[in-house]
Amino acid sequence: MKNEEKPEEKSFRSRLQRYRPLARYLGNRFGVYLFTLWASLSLAFILFRFMPGNPMAMSVTQLQSNAGLIVGADKAAEYYREKMGLNEPLHIQYLKFLKNMIFGPFDFGHSFVKYPTPVNEVIGRYLPWTLGLFTTSVILAWILGTAIGALLGWMRRSRFASWAIVLTTLINITPIYVLAVFLLLGLSYKLGWLPSGRPYDAQMMPSWKWPFIKSVLIHAILPVGTMVLVWSSGWILGMRSLMVSVLGEDYLAYARAKGLSPLTILKEYAFRNALLPQVAGLAIVLGMSLNGAYIIEIIFRIPGLGTLFANAAALRDFNTMMGLLVFSAFTVLTGSLIVDLAMPLFDPRIRRSDA
Amino acid sequence: MTQDTPQEAVLAIRSLSVVYVGRRSAAQAVTEVDLEVQNNEILGLVGESGCGKTTLAVAMLGLIEPPGKVIGGAVQIRTHDHSTQDILKVKPSLHRQLLWKEIAYIPQGSMSALNPVKRVREQLTDTLIEHGLKKNEALERARWALQVVSLDAAILERYPHELSGGMVQRVAIAGAISMQPPVLVADEPTTALDVVTQRSILQELVSIREKFGSAILLISHDMGVMAQIADRIAVMYAGRIVEIGSIHQVFASPLHPYTKKLINAIPNARGRESGERLIGLGGESPNIWRHPPGCRFHPRCEFAIERCSQQAPVFTSPNGSSGQRVACHLY
Repeated sequence: MKNEEKPEEKSFRSRLQRYRPLARYLGNRFGVYLFTLWASLSLAFILFRFMPGNPMAMSVTQLQSNAGLIVGADKAAEYYREKMGLNEPLHIQYLKFLKNMIFGPFDFGHSFVKYPTPVNEVIGRYLPWTLGLFTTSVILAWILGTAIGALLGWMRRSRFASWAIVLTTLINITPIYVLAVFLLLGLSYKLGWLPSGRPYDAQMMPSWKWPFIKSVLIHAILPVGTMVLVWSSGWILGMRSLMVSVLGEDYLAYARAKGLSPLTILKEYAFRNALLPQVAGLAIVLGMSLNGAYIIEIIFRIPGLGTLFANAAALRDFNTMMGLLVFSAFTVLTGSLIVDLAMPLFDPRIRRSDA
Repeated sequence: MTQDTPQEAVLAIRSLSVVYVGRRSAAQAVTEVDLEVQNNEILGLVGESGCGKTTLAVAMLGLIEPPGKVIGGAVQIRTHDHSTQDILKVKPSLHRQLLWKEIAYIPQGSMSALNPVKRVREQLTDTLIEHGLKKNEALERARWALQVVSLDAAILERYPHELSGGMVQRVAIAGAISMQPPVLVADEPTTALDVVTQRSILQELVSIREKFGSAILLISHDMGVMAQIADRIAVMYAGRIVEIGSIHQVFASPLHPYTKKLINAIPNARGRESGERLIGLGGESPNIWRHPPGCRFHPRCEFAIERCSQQAPVFTSPNGSSGQRVACHLY
C-alpha cells in the first residue's frame, strides 16, 4: 500500500503527463469558443437575409431606386452589391460574408445611413462612452460588491449585517431606471449638485486636455454612481451567500482548529474560495456591458452603443445593426473565453478535470 | 468524578456543559462531563451518533460557535512549560497559540477537511508560521511531519483532490503532530476509510503515541476501533459520560446496561457460524431537546428501577479502586 500512496517519480515524462489534462481543457475551451463564434456569425447572416423581405437586398434596391434623387446613390448601391455579392446565390453571399469577417477582419463595409463611413468607424465613435461608463461601472460594481459581500458574509451573525442585507435586497429589486430617474431628479434637478443631460459640458470640444476630462468625470458621477449602486447589490448578495456556505465547510472549522488568525482565515480560506464563482460571473457581465444599455443611455444621454443600435434600428441601417450584433457576440464570447482560460489559475481542480 | 492522579493528567475536562441555544429552550448537548487524559495514553470516547462526542471535541478546543454555548466547566491543559491553562478562559491570541502547540485536532479525513484550492504545503506551513516558525523552518518541519506518517515529501506540492482518502487522513495527522503537542484530539479519524486503510491509520496513531508520548483522545462510534488501540474507554450517552474504565475492564466486565448493549451489538465472526443474531439497541435514540429526568438511559434500560427516573446517578467504583467507574443506580 505504501507503493500505491507514493507519488510518481518526478521525471520529465510524468511532469508532461500531469499537464495533459490542462492542455486538453484549454484546447477544448478554445475549440468551443471558435465554434460558438462561427455559429453566431452565421446566425447574424441568416437573420439579416431571411427576415421577411430580405432587408439587406431591399435596402440596396431602395437605394438604387433613389439614384435620380440622391447624388451618388447608384454608386453606393453598386458598392454594396459588390461587397456583399447581392447578385449572387445565397451560398456565395455567405462565403463572401465569412471572408469579410475573417480576413477583414470584421469588415461590414460602409454604414447605410452614414455612407461612406465604415460601420467599424461608426462603432468606434460610440465605443469609448460605453467602455468608459458601462464597463467601468461593471468593474467598480464587481469590486465593491465582492468586498462588501465578503464582509457581510464574514459577520453573518451580527445585527448590522442582517439590516445591510435587507437594504441591499431592496436596492437590488429596484429597476435601475426608477432609481436613475429618482437620483436624477433629486441630485441634479432639485439640489443641483451634479450636472446631467449630457456626457460633458456643452461648451467644450472633446480633447485629451484636463478641463475636458474633468468635465467628463463630473458628468459621469451620476450615471456611474447609479449603475454601481444597483449592480453592486447583486454581487453583494451573491458573494455573501457564497461566503456563508464556504464558512460552513469542514476546512473552515479545521482552519479555526489550527489556531490561524481570523484575518488569515478570512483571506486565505473563506474569501479565496468564495471568490471563484464571482470571477466566472464577472466575465460574462463584462462582455455584456459592451452592448450598452439603451434605457440608461437615454436617461443620462450617453452616446453609447445602446443608443447607436436603437438609432440604427430606427433608420434601418442594417449594416450597422449587424456590426453591433457581431461585435457584441464577439465581446461576450471573448470575455467568457478569457475567464475559462484564467480559471485554472484560480481553481486547481479544473486542471485535472476532463471538462 | 474523583481525581486519581491530577498531577499527571495532561488534559483535564472538568464538569463541561454545552448547550445549543434555540428560540425558546436550549438543547443539552454535553452535560457535566469530566474526563482526564494522561501522557502516553489513548482514551477512547465512544457513543452513538448525536450523543455529543463531536460537540465535546469542539468545545474542549474552545471552538464552539453560536448557537452552541459552553455554559460551565473548564478545560485544563498542562503546557510544555508546565503551567496549566484553561482553554475556555484564555484570551483569543493565547488561545490560538495553545491550539496546535499544546492541543491539536485531527479531523475526519474526508476530502473536505483540507482547503481544495491550496497546496498541502501551504496548508501545513501557514499554521506553523503563525505559531512562530520561520518560513524555511516551517517547510522543514512539514517535510519531517509527512515523513513521520510515511508520506513522501512530494505530497507537499499536491492539491487535496490529488490525494486518496488515506493520504488526506495522513496529511491531517502530519499537520496535528507538526508542533509536537502533548495532546491530540482525533474526531472519527477512520470513519470515511476502507478497513485496510483504517487499520494503517490506527497503527499510525499508536506509533505516534509511542514516538512522542502524546495523549490522544480518540472519538469514534466504532467499538471495534476502540478495542484495537484504546487504553481506556469512556462511554457517552445523551451528553453524559456513563462509564469509564480500562479497555479490558469495559470489554470484559461492562457495568452500565448501555455499555453492555453496545458490546453485544458488535458483530463477531463466530456469530455467523453459531447462528447467533446481532442484538440491536431497543428504543428510541435520545432527543437532546427533551432529556428524560433522572438517568437519561432509563427509558431504554431493561433493568430500570423507580429511582432511575427520579435521580441522576453519580459515579461509583463498584469493583473497588480498579479505576472502572460507572454512573448507574444498579451499583
